[in-house]
Amino acid sequence: MQHSSISPSTLDTETAAPSGYLFEAVGLEKKFEDGRVQALRGVTFSVVPGEFVAITGPSGCGKTTLLQMLGALDRPTAGTLLYRGNSIPDLRDPSIYRAHEIGFIFQAFHLLPTFTALENVQIPMFESDLSMAERRNRAITLLMSVGLKHRLNHFPAKLSGGERQRVAIARSLANNPCVLLADEPTGNLDSENARLILELIVRVHREQNMTLMLVTHDMSIAQRASRTIQMKDGRIVSDRESTIAGE
Amino acid sequence: MTFFTVVVRGLTRRPVRTGLTLLGISIGIAAVVALVGISRGFNRSWAAGLKARGTDVVVSNMGSSLIPKPFSASVRDRIAHLPHVAATCAILVDVTSVESAEMIMVSAREWGGFAWKNLKLISGRMPHDPAEPAVVLGRTAADVLKKKVGDPIQIETRELTVVGIVDGNAWVENGSIILSLPLFQEFTGNQGKINIIDIRVTPSASAKDVELLCDQINRLVPEGRAVVASENINNSEAYRMVRAMSWSTSLLAVLVGILGVMNTMLMNVFERTQEICVLLALGWKRWRIVRMVLWQSALLGSVGGVVGVLIGVIGVRVLGATPAIRGLLEPELSAGLVAMSVALAIAVGVISGLYPAWRSSQLTPSRALRG
Repeated sequence: MQHSSISPSTLDTETAAPSGYLFEAVGLEKKFEDGRVQALRGVTFSVVPGEFVAITGPSGCGKTTLLQMLGALDRPTAGTLLYRGNSIPDLRDPSIYRAHEIGFIFQAFHLLPTFTALENVQIPMFESDLSMAERRNRAITLLMSVGLKHRLNHFPAKLSGGERQRVAIARSLANNPCVLLADEPTGNLDSENARLILELIVRVHREQNMTLMLVTHDMSIAQRASRTIQMKDGRIVSDRESTIAGE
Repeated sequence: MTFFTVVVRGLTRRPVRTGLTLLGISIGIAAVVALVGISRGFNRSWAAGLKARGTDVVVSNMGSSLIPKPFSASVRDRIAHLPHVAATCAILVDVTSVESAEMIMVSAREWGGFAWKNLKLISGRMPHDPAEPAVVLGRTAADVLKKKVGDPIQIETRELTVVGIVDGNAWVENGSIILSLPLFQEFTGNQGKINIIDIRVTPSASAKDVELLCDQINRLVPEGRAVVASENINNSEAYRMVRAMSWSTSLLAVLVGILGVMNTMLMNVFERTQEICVLLALGWKRWRIVRMVLWQSALLGSVGGVVGVLIGVIGVRVLGATPAIRGLLEPELSAGLVAMSVALAIAVGVISGLYPAWRSSQLTPSRALRG
């Protein structure tokens, strides 16, 4: 499947940067509350296309803040953050980047309660060129691929936690992004559903060769990643390849 | 699913609040329709009455009352010979309570004057002479008073007889009790007094001639003021006051509507902060969020406008049928007024949505990952 690529007016290149990295972060810092709280302290790392990177660490270590920077939801206070060689904080229209390059999966699912599963998946597609019929057909295909063929017209309140997260995964794939950013995607699920959802995310990552950045504090989940970045107090304390990845 | 579906769903998630907001804006627009419709209707009814009588120029002293002040009937003699004056008709009108009607127009006309000529008999006859204690009733007046030919009718202290029912070809004319001037002057103690002189100009008179005639009369007759018939009512301070009050009351109602919609939309944005942040995180442009909020408020305005117009039209019809004002005026519910009211409601919606839309555009998508 072809991943979407954002407009040349937003990014200079459609492929990986000459360095080969999809993401490059150098000396990334983020301060809140007039500098009284420092969430990121000189974070430096790089990610190649197709990697599955788990970001782990205790609560408040800066995992989610880092994910926000990668998704252009927030801007770093200092440092460099590149996507395919282009500075994410300097993107002229970050919404294009978010709509077409990034798929978000949230811990709390964040489905819109007044829309059915089918409609929720179509929401991001308003920023694509697809017609109404194409949006609907693509949403059906995506929901079928996550095993929710029978739940298309159900509202989130009528779905189980696992089913909601499946809808959220389908929604994250709506515009065929290159990168999946998942923030504790199994955090609100029981162990069986957590296992199934993780399997689904890993399957999507593999089948579509997507880059997956997954924030978790569960080391058993992190072990599924090809690489684990461990953070503490806003710093990367370890960055290593996983020995049992893919099992 | 279309973008419009998203717009509508944002409003239907709180149906009671949306319904109450719609009701608020509807009542505001209904007030506009009713008050402006009645005020315009009064103007139109009055002008139509003059037109039906074939009056080109009216001499009266409208002052601060809706009924002109009386002046001497001799004024007529001062203007009858002026150039371009084809005919004159002295009239004494009053709006008074007659039997079961709380307010009805009594129009006493110079015997033999042209103001009698437009009256078409539906039943009965015209009075035989100016002294006959008889009246003819416009058909609406007959309906309001529940009178037929031959019935007695008590006007002030005098009992008269209904001798005919007429169609005056205008709302005001049909809502009037019509009788001879000398008779009315006699039993109301207004001997020698009139309060309107209807003037019919010669067919050859141009608009400029009519204007000059009015100027001439105004110099000759300080007791009254001559104006072209269609502008007569606008000359009344009372009418101008009524019109100003109807507009100011309407604008107040609209202001309440604006605050209501703005409150609803702000609540909507505050409640949906997380949702809007998620939409931003999913790649929605800020402009799309702004459009969504503006469309929602415009939708509230337009639906409220349509419902308000319906309430206003029904309200005015009911009001117009009440005995108190039935026959006195025909509310104007023109397509122009309806379109203006709906456009006003949409404008109210959009204006009300501007601040909430701006607030929504200031949200940061990073909030989507918190909570």
